[in-house]
Amino acid sequence: MAIAEVPRFVRADGPDKVTGSGRYAADINLTGQLVAKFRYAGVSHARITKLDTSAASAMPGVFAVLTAADVPDVIYSPVVPDRRLFAKDVVRFEGELVAAVAAVDAATAQAAVDAIVVEYEDLPIVDDLEAAMADGSPLVHQDWESYAVTGDTVQRPNVASFSSIEKGDVDAAMASADHVVTSRYVADGCHALPIEPRAVVAQWEGEKVTIWTSTQVPFGARAGVCETLQMPASKVRVIVPHLGGGFGGKCGFHFEAHVAALAKAARRAVKLVFSRQEEMVAPDRRREGMIVDITSGVKADGTLVARSGWIAIDNGAYTADAAFFPQLAAMHVAGPYAMEAVKIEASLVYTNHQPSGSVRAPTAPQACWALESHTDELAAMVGMDPVEFRRANIVDEGVEGAAGQIYGEIGLRRCLDAAVDASAYSDDLPDDEAVGVAISWWPSFPGPSGAYIKIDSDGSGMIITGAQECGTGSVMTLRMLAAKELGMEPEDFQLVYQDTSAAPYDTGATGSQTLLNNGRAVVEGAREVAAQLRDLAADRLEAAPDDIELASGKAHVSGSPDKAVSIVELAGVAAEGEMLIGKGSGTPPEYPSVSAMCVGDQGLAGWAGPQFACHAVHVRLDRETGVVRVLDVSAAHDSGTIINPVAAHGQVEGGIMMGVGQALTEGTQYGDDAKQRNTGLLEYKLQTAADAPTIHTEFIEIPDPNAGPYGAKGLAEAPNVPTAAAIANGVAKLVGMSVRQLPMTAERVWMTSEGMSS
Amino acid sequence: MSFTIATTVDEALVALDAGARPIAGGTDLVVGARHGKAALPADLVAIDRIDELGGVELDSAGVRVGALMSHAELMTDPVIVGSYTAIADASALVGSPSTRHVGTLGGNVMNGSPAMDTGAPLTVLRAAAELRSVTGSRTVSLDELWAGPGRTTANPGELLVALHLPPAWDRCGSAYVRLEYRRAMEIAVVGAAAAVTLAADGTVASVAVALAAVAPTILSVDGVNEALVGRTAAAAGPVAAALASEQAAPISDLRASDRYRRHCIGVMAKRAVDAAARRADGESIAVPVNRSLGIGAA
Repeated sequence: MAIAEVPRFVRADGPDKVTGSGRYAADINLTGQLVAKFRYAGVSHARITKLDTSAASAMPGVFAVLTAADVPDVIYSPVVPDRRLFAKDVVRFEGELVAAVAAVDAATAQAAVDAIVVEYEDLPIVDDLEAAMADGSPLVHQDWESYAVTGDTVQRPNVASFSSIEKGDVDAAMASADHVVTSRYVADGCHALPIEPRAVVAQWEGEKVTIWTSTQVPFGARAGVCETLQMPASKVRVIVPHLGGGFGGKCGFHFEAHVAALAKAARRAVKLVFSRQEEMVAPDRRREGMIVDITSGVKADGTLVARSGWIAIDNGAYTADAAFFPQLAAMHVAGPYAMEAVKIEASLVYTNHQPSGSVRAPTAPQACWALESHTDELAAMVGMDPVEFRRANIVDEGVEGAAGQIYGEIGLRRCLDAAVDASAYSDDLPDDEAVGVAISWWPSFPGPSGAYIKIDSDGSGMIITGAQECGTGSVMTLRMLAAKELGMEPEDFQLVYQDTSAAPYDTGATGSQTLLNNGRAVVEGAREVAAQLRDLAADRLEAAPDDIELASGKAHVSGSPDKAVSIVELAGVAAEGEMLIGKGSGTPPEYPSVSAMCVGDQGLAGWAGPQFACHAVHVRLDRETGVVRVLDVSAAHDSGTIINPVAAHGQVEGGIMMGVGQALTEGTQYGDDAKQRNTGLLEYKLQTAADAPTIHTEFIEIPDPNAGPYGAKGLAEAPNVPTAAAIANGVAKLVGMSVRQLPMTAERVWMTSEGMSS
Repeated sequence: MSFTIATTVDEALVALDAGARPIAGGTDLVVGARHGKAALPADLVAIDRIDELGGVELDSAGVRVGALMSHAELMTDPVIVGSYTAIADASALVGSPSTRHVGTLGGNVMNGSPAMDTGAPLTVLRAAAELRSVTGSRTVSLDELWAGPGRTTANPGELLVALHLPPAWDRCGSAYVRLEYRRAMEIAVVGAAAAVTLAADGTVASVAVALAAVAPTILSVDGVNEALVGRTAAAAGPVAAALASEQAAPISDLRASDRYRRHCIGVMAKRAVDAAARRADGESIAVPVNRSLGIGAA
């Protein structure tokens, strides 16, 4: 641990959240506020033949009814713009918005929603990934070729984004292998499932709108409102009260524009609060279903020589932020292994399902599950212990990865050793228990970010930051960074955040990037203030500014701790003259270049601050029923320097629990009508506290010079990546073969062990 | 619309007679209404403050278990844990600590879900339901009470006031086990209860097995006593499993396929018979069996 001498401190938002005094978006209530309700398509693919809102509009207590005709005709979404605020002509998934209502209360709003007349002509449902890619398949988007995609994005019929990674001659390398193993793995989609269903409140004053919303990305939400309602950023203010979790599900722009448009039309404040079912059906942020075919060639001595892969990812009806998924999935099917040649193709396939979008480590848990299950099959083929097989083939310092990136000092090998050593991998276990091992990687995401730092007249600090707290604690860690620069305590700092009109830009609680990027901004801003304090202290202490040190709440002359003045006193002086105010942004780390050929490049083949991990998971199988219980997880992570160990351990533990759910119980079930069947927490089974295994976490701290402050990389997503894979490898040892569907439900495990296919 | 708080059974019966529906813990009624299963009744009578509906009392005919006994009370009640252990096993698995503290035995029985946890234990323990109305009272077997999923033969004016259990006898034991995918907030995918009495030589003297979530109501396994009497406990389990799988009439739904349910109900029946026999033999297996013996997700 590089900077904090006291590893525990109280989160600034902790007491409010624990005692219930904290306020969330759904707690906001404004004078005259109306209730918003949406009319959803309710069908998966159909042409709208009639849409009549007149009866709804005429109902007493109804203030606004909006459809596509009432808002600007804007086709939006980053990279692959393919959707509108409301369906126009065609609905493409059950949760698509057809209309929105604002009324005096929920019952009136619902009655108005029900009074909207919509008639449909059925269109063929597209819900099978392979069929959708076949010639002659019905199209989800007839006019896909007209979409204004950006960058190097490659599209095909029913494929929103295609990427490939190719290095070397894969056919020749495969021909040189002694063994070639081919596997298919199929993962169901699942949900981010924050416990707080989203809420949005909008209120206009003149031409300006203020929106309180439960988003992970306030600036992204603002950009979405500006784009779809055609407003300048200066007229839109987005504020996030406390956020009740996100896990990626609240990344991106969602319903802020709908509520703002309702509020404008109704000339009243309007509030939207989702039910659990709406939260599970309507947002364009679900974890994507995936089919992964992998073929690998190995030498008899266990050397991996070649890999080819084919990946189909369920995009759902609209692309949201998912255009980069194929390239990221391809990187995860290549994995952190060295090999001569690789060719992996991945397609983001349109279907009539709910749209996919970034959920914690998008594509990675499924792709890692497929790859690492496959890797245990490779080890078995050459008769090697799976851990030894990995030791022989992983990337390391100076080694070239699958996409041609050459790594600096990385901790993958140490992660593998640490997790395995801390587990019961080498122990004699009962015949219904086993330890499975999986390794993983994940990028850090450099980006622009800014912060202001000030010290008020009483010596208290304030960090004004664009960063968004998502429950992760990363925003809280900013206080440690500022305190370190200024010789103060973390508790000396307050945060002003989650308000687009108060702070500089930040990407938000997405891509594990808060500490990486906003940390840099805060350190820079704090250093400006530190320089101001040194100047002031130098005057008072008759010393050179360079000789002033800031420590323990004081400025003192280097080498003479008694020649000191308190920061509180200096703050009082500054308040009468030139004030203590700093700003920071700084230059983001650079993306390294790679040698692989990347078709449909989305810039994610070369990774800055690559993170590595290994999980060794001890499972028990009830052989007669197929029920798997996770007893113990040993996790080792290289996320660079760990700034706040308490928060870091929390991230790993939360990521693992999410991984256990995806591994065993969490999966969306669809009907033949392409509608979700388990849209409540009774039938969509999250893991509970009672299911939590014992978790041992070790951090392999290698400061990364091309990453965040003090060499910190990201951490929020990486712990979610290898858990399902490690569980799978433990289960496969007990069953005698891999369970090739995710989640590995009890029934699927039982069927696999009985030799049945499902 | 009305809400009556009754403090005596008679007050409650008057309200029921006037068309109100009873509410105790509300864990089925309120959740069901929220999920659109059935709207909340316009008129409700709260029965949760009626002292007469609580308690576990020993009497000459056996044991009277008040309908208001919560799952949390049942799972620790010394009489239930000591002599009618399957009920404690079942109560300990219901929902979460909060649902167990407000949810009641009477509510579980009268909700009539085929997946109810206490139903199979009550059936193998030969419980009878005491129903009262303004016109009198009657006692019916549970077989007669349950008419189908969510349906009972009780009249709208009748209130379940207690369940009566016959006296426990020597060398008897009971157990309830269920298939579950996680350890809290779970509903039985399938469940099985067994009550076993052992003869002096350790063979089965009598046995009953009942199944949850494999038929429209709790299913008593036919012929199980005849097939198992005289067998050792070890030999009895597989026979019970075969009978249970054969007689089950499961459906496919989001939780499991009919094929998997049919297989697993046999596994659960075998485990229930095993655990019940071990308890009958004097072995102390802590409540619930699911956690003590590593069943399902334990």
